[in-house]
Amino acid sequence: MRLILAALLAAVLAGAAAAQVETTRATVFAAASLTDAFPKVAPSARFSFAGSNTLAAQIRQGAPADVFASANTTLPEALHKDGFCSKPVVFTRNTLVLIVPSSNPADIHSVYDLRRKGIKLVIAAPGVPVGSYTVQVLKNMNLTSVLKNVVSRENDVREVLAKVALNEADAGFVYSTDARTVPKKVKVLKIPAWAQPKVQYGICVVSASHNKAAASAFVKRVLSPAGQKILLRYGFLPRVKR
Amino acid sequence: MNRRRTLLGAVTLAAAAVALAFLVLPVAAIFLRVPPGKLLHQLTSPVVTDALIVSFKTSAIAQALILLFGTPLAYLVASRRFRGRALVVTLIELPLVLPPAVAGIGLLALFGRAGLLGTSIPFTQTAVVLAVAFVSSPLYTRQAIAAFEAVDPDVVAAARTLGAGPGRTFFRVVLPLARGGLAAGEALAFARGLGEFGATIMFAGSLQGLTQTLPLAIYEEFALDFDTALAMGALLVVVSAALLVILKLVLTWQPSRQTSGFLFARSS
Repeated sequence: MRLILAALLAAVLAGAAAAQVETTRATVFAAASLTDAFPKVAPSARFSFAGSNTLAAQIRQGAPADVFASANTTLPEALHKDGFCSKPVVFTRNTLVLIVPSSNPADIHSVYDLRRKGIKLVIAAPGVPVGSYTVQVLKNMNLTSVLKNVVSRENDVREVLAKVALNEADAGFVYSTDARTVPKKVKVLKIPAWAQPKVQYGICVVSASHNKAAASAFVKRVLSPAGQKILLRYGFLPRVKR
Repeated sequence: MNRRRTLLGAVTLAAAAVALAFLVLPVAAIFLRVPPGKLLHQLTSPVVTDALIVSFKTSAIAQALILLFGTPLAYLVASRRFRGRALVVTLIELPLVLPPAVAGIGLLALFGRAGLLGTSIPFTQTAVVLAVAFVSSPLYTRQAIAAFEAVDPDVVAAARTLGAGPGRTFFRVVLPLARGGLAAGEALAFARGLGEFGATIMFAGSLQGLTQTLPLAIYEEFALDFDTALAMGALLVVVSAALLVILKLVLTWQPSRQTSGFLFARSS
């Protein structure tokens, strides 16, 4: 009886340990905007895509990430400062666009049209990188009053995209790379270059990673010409401005 | 033999202790991570108070709707035998096993601007109410069917032969007898509705003071400020625990009233 129990317990523990075993696959926590591109850069890695700030919070709570790829540099910088990850490097850049459903129910043709009353604007929550960039664009254009038309603050950029693509919202701010993923469902309205925020993506190796070799290999792959080429194909900008 | 019995007893006790610790510790950890003073202080932040108001307002309306529409539905299902009754019961229970994300998609597909009905409900407080009502109604309706079924048909028949109409019979006989079960179901539905997350965030979005309920605010704060998220979590624990206690009080208090026959005496 005792033997059976001991064996059972051992089996359970072994099973739990097996689930924890470090493989050579890196676990990458990456910004939601990288959902389509990153698996093409490194098909063997495991990914968790979400708002960068959610991922950063999870890493602070000890989530088993090997790499953190954020849609800004401030979140990985803060993690680095607190000893949670290596010094981040910029690995790509992006631009912000305004999107409307392809049927354009609110007849919006520029950012200025967002001032009209009753428009259903969806943006990302304040801590989400794209949410901060959105507020920055509106500040740059002296249009912070349109924030009154915000009907929902989403937790990552893909949720903003979904609400507009579903035709539930009249407009939303996303990265140009997100808008490209559903070309038939949304229409892209450009934001003037002078109002664009500086959208730089930072990547770092998580300090608590038990899989640093795979993590470094992943970062190297992203920064390599091959990795950069794939990012460019998905509409991301070269990591250094030319 | 005796040794084996003590071993079995010890194993049972150990398993029970593990199970109990597993359920209690995460909840206890919430309160241990943040000192109570800080906890109270954080509860005064506008994000928290707004979320609290939105949560209670939408929950109250949703639960009122569930009682108003779910009670007649449960009574009909419980008191009639008809073809397809099993199917109706299954349909009533379906939202219970549905992932909330599926509920959110379904609500969007029906009420969304591009949906079947083509309404402008998404992103409004009405959307929160509908999401909460959809996911929490089965908990009430299921229990209500069982409670109505448990009412002795002879008592109902007696009331009718004594001259009470169907309405009077329902309100004076059936409802008081089923009250314990109804209250238990409603408490569970309320608690489930208060914790609603998936369907709400998909169907109603999240905007402070309008559609951002406590669970949505906790999720957003988790990524912004873990201490505030903890404080809000603690608040939700307290509210849910209070609900559970009220539920237990209602349940233990009911049988003595039933046996006293007090409610019958008064209805004449």
